[in-house]
Amino acid sequence: VEADQAAPEKEERSEPSLICPPPRSRSYFPPEDLQSCLESHVREVFGPSLPEDWQQTPLQENRLKHRLLARLAAELGHAVPNSQLHQMRRAGDVLGFYRTPVKDGSKIDELAAADLPPNLKIIWQQ
Amino acid sequence: RYVRQLQRLQLLFSPTAADARGARQFVEEAAQDFARQHPDVVLYVSPHKGPGPAPVLRAEYLNGTVREELIASKTSEEIVQLATKMANQSGLDIIRIRKPFHTDNPSIQGQWHPLTNKPSILTVQGPRLQPQ
Repeated sequence: VEADQAAPEKEERSEPSLICPPPRSRSYFPPEDLQSCLESHVREVFGPSLPEDWQQTPLQENRLKHRLLARLAAELGHAVPNSQLHQMRRAGDVLGFYRTPVKDGSKIDELAAADLPPNLKIIWQQ
Repeated sequence: RYVRQLQRLQLLFSPTAADARGARQFVEEAAQDFARQHPDVVLYVSPHKGPGPAPVLRAEYLNGTVREELIASKTSEEIVQLATKMANQSGLDIIRIRKPFHTDNPSIQGQWHPLTNKPSILTVQGPRLQPQ
């Protein structure tokens, strides 16, 4: 019985594939309802204690800040990098951060995809 | 009719090397303008990954001459000037021209220059400074 139980366990545990998976694309484009989405999250996390203009809510308390940023990252798929956490002091800063789109490819990729004159050829794989 | 002697220009550089910065800026900013101004020259931009040879601009002419110029640590404007210079050249070798004849008296009545047989006021007022 023990041998029978051990064998199916080994078969279920598949071998780790040796092919390296492609890296995650860091591209991000802000959705259209960004402002309303952000506002609803801010109200959810901060509850009743909100100044009149929701963009001026100070993010002084670290727990609430972390909660807000974690929810936004989970929903939009784009997280604030550690180096810019200290710049997020108000909800307006977070809004500005999530408004900037992030492009993934290098400039040569963009150039290769854009319209070129017929005598300019870019030879670049990737 | 004028036929440009430059056939193609190949820009070989590395996308990460430090001395290829001018080449990268040239590709991003000025390559399209250069291609539009010279529609009879084909411009191939081939970045090669990883550390490789020095960035080079290779010009191939209609008579088969291939001329390579290093563009390491050159600014984008310098590369534009270099490319236009190579586009205006012919593919003949750049060496001293030696001729199998020699004279001690090359000219009897005086060598012609563009101001012979023209009114002498041109030496003062220059060519067509006043609009007609």
